[in-house]
Amino acid sequence: MSQNHKLDLSHSAEGQSDAHDQMAGNRGLWRDAGRRLVRNRLSLVGIFVLSILFVLAIFGPSIAPYPFMEQNLKLISEPPSADHWLGTDQLGRDVLSRILWGARTATTVAIFVTTISLGVGIVLGGVAAFAGGMADWLIMRLTDVVMSVPSIMLALLVNTAIKKPVAIWFENIYEQTDWAFFRSTTFLDYLIVLGALAVVSFPGYARLIRGQILSLREREYVTAARSSGVPFTRILFRHVVPNALGPVIVAATFGFSGAMVMEASLSYLGIGIQPPAASWGAMINDSLMDWRYEPWLLAMPAIALAISALAVNYLGDGLNDALNPRIAAGGAAPERER
Amino acid sequence: MVRYLVSRLAVVIPVVLVVLLITFTLGFYAPGDPIMIIYGEDLYRLRPEDLARMRRNLGLDRPYWEQYLAYMGRTVRGDLGRSIASKVAVNRLLASSLPISLQLGLLAGVLLALVGIPLGVLAALRHNTWVDYLIVSLALVVRSVPVFVLAPLLLILLVLQLKIMDVPAGWRGIATPAVVLPVILLAAYPLADVIRQTRTGVLEVLQEDYVRTARSKGLTIMLIITRHVLRNALIPVVTSLGLIVNGLIHGSVYLDRIFNIPGFGNLVVSGIQRLDFPVILGTTVFSALLVIAANLVVDLIYPFLDPRVTYTGREGR
Repeated sequence: MSQNHKLDLSHSAEGQSDAHDQMAGNRGLWRDAGRRLVRNRLSLVGIFVLSILFVLAIFGPSIAPYPFMEQNLKLISEPPSADHWLGTDQLGRDVLSRILWGARTATTVAIFVTTISLGVGIVLGGVAAFAGGMADWLIMRLTDVVMSVPSIMLALLVNTAIKKPVAIWFENIYEQTDWAFFRSTTFLDYLIVLGALAVVSFPGYARLIRGQILSLREREYVTAARSSGVPFTRILFRHVVPNALGPVIVAATFGFSGAMVMEASLSYLGIGIQPPAASWGAMINDSLMDWRYEPWLLAMPAIALAISALAVNYLGDGLNDALNPRIAAGGAAPERER
Repeated sequence: MVRYLVSRLAVVIPVVLVVLLITFTLGFYAPGDPIMIIYGEDLYRLRPEDLARMRRNLGLDRPYWEQYLAYMGRTVRGDLGRSIASKVAVNRLLASSLPISLQLGLLAGVLLALVGIPLGVLAALRHNTWVDYLIVSLALVVRSVPVFVLAPLLLILLVLQLKIMDVPAGWRGIATPAVVLPVILLAAYPLADVIRQTRTGVLEVLQEDYVRTARSKGLTIMLIITRHVLRNALIPVVTSLGLIVNGLIHGSVYLDRIFNIPGFGNLVVSGIQRLDFPVILGTTVFSALLVIAANLVVDLIYPFLDPRVTYTGREGR
């Protein structure tokens, strides 16, 4: 909570210069932030790795040397070789191809979870801040409740509990519409994982956005704008949104890597993305028993996940330094559960 | 004090009730009929009237709200239901697994304090030097890379490549070499929080007037740190107890399985793999209560740590 407190204090000193930038067409602020970001070597590494991850997520499956489900029962658990660069798994599937498909899974889930929970957070945080009173109280208590359950436990519970009802619901839709789409169990898995992860991650965003709006609303430049008759929506989009954007971008970046890791966690515990679909977490889980004999099966997806999560967090840290220079000074994740 | 406690409880109790409502609702609509899960295929050999009688005995034929109230009553009395897979009370399962996780957790807590706080202080004292950067990025690494990735990679490195240890697995008491790696990994996740909180706290306190005064009257840096800085800088560390408990639960869920430890995490994972809903619900409720209790304890001891804060309101500054 002290983090939040500081966030507010640090911004107030900066308020005037922000307002100034606003008049100058809002460019200076972002250009400054961009310069600060590029100066930070670690965040450059983060951007680089993240771009590779996105490229692999989009094109990986088409450049993958083998189909991700193709089993070659003559080549089971082979160490890395010229034909299979990262070896083959217990069912004779090419590990490299599966890692490329896993990149798509990880990125897709992370993008959707971040978008959904950020969207829900903006709506709830905005309503709480602007409506105040009862609505504010209710929404804040809701975030209290969700945050008091350890996120992994809540995600596990939601995931296991909604699986069957959603599957039945899907079957009904399929029977009525005959769309093959609703028979795909992979799509179903994705949807359930997205739901479970959005549930655990929206409260952080809601609180952040509420706090931002409440503190920005009290600034002199907002009062000035209001007293000179600037309409509400214009104040919102000219003053509140641009100033709240920095912390939100940082939170969303950490949220992105958080969602990626959580998807892998659920799949690692065997309830996320189900086989034969490829997920790094599930690949780690599948190979956990054989780590002494086939360490590469375990190491490859583990390294892929570690590098991706770390790179995104480096970027988040760099963005934090660049966008919120006063509070910056080191340390991950600005807004997390207590 | 009493009034403050009552007002805090007035906030906490509704939160607990809503947590129970949510977990119950999720369990209510969750897969399968408990009777179906108990009997499996034998279900089809039961007569319909027996089935109805069993549903009545278990209270499954009553409406949602009545079932919720019954569930709430049982939970308040400390009865978390009975495992479907092993037919043992969830309480008994918790009682046998918790002591193990508690010992590991306490040891990890000691490690956190012994490693995290000095590292945080060091980073603050060497602010913006390579020492600081190294410590901060180390914290970022252990925070970003999940333990179920860190653990296998460390195992491969230490056991297969360097060959400096045997496979640490199983549970034969706290005083065995097998717990070394699990405890280190358990501490890894919350370590980043402790380092970061200590570092920020120390950096802030170092700028206070009383530190400058202490320095100018010639006190050694060690004395300043122990007498003036740490006392004030550690307040945020102590108040993040809830976060630390959360981190330990998190670590336990992944590590117990890798190291074959029959602790809390093992109970959670086995419940999930068998879709044993009483176990899943019981462990979720229990972990939520643990975090809520930790935060309540923090709220209660906060005024003792920071006299500026009074029981009437937390913002004393």
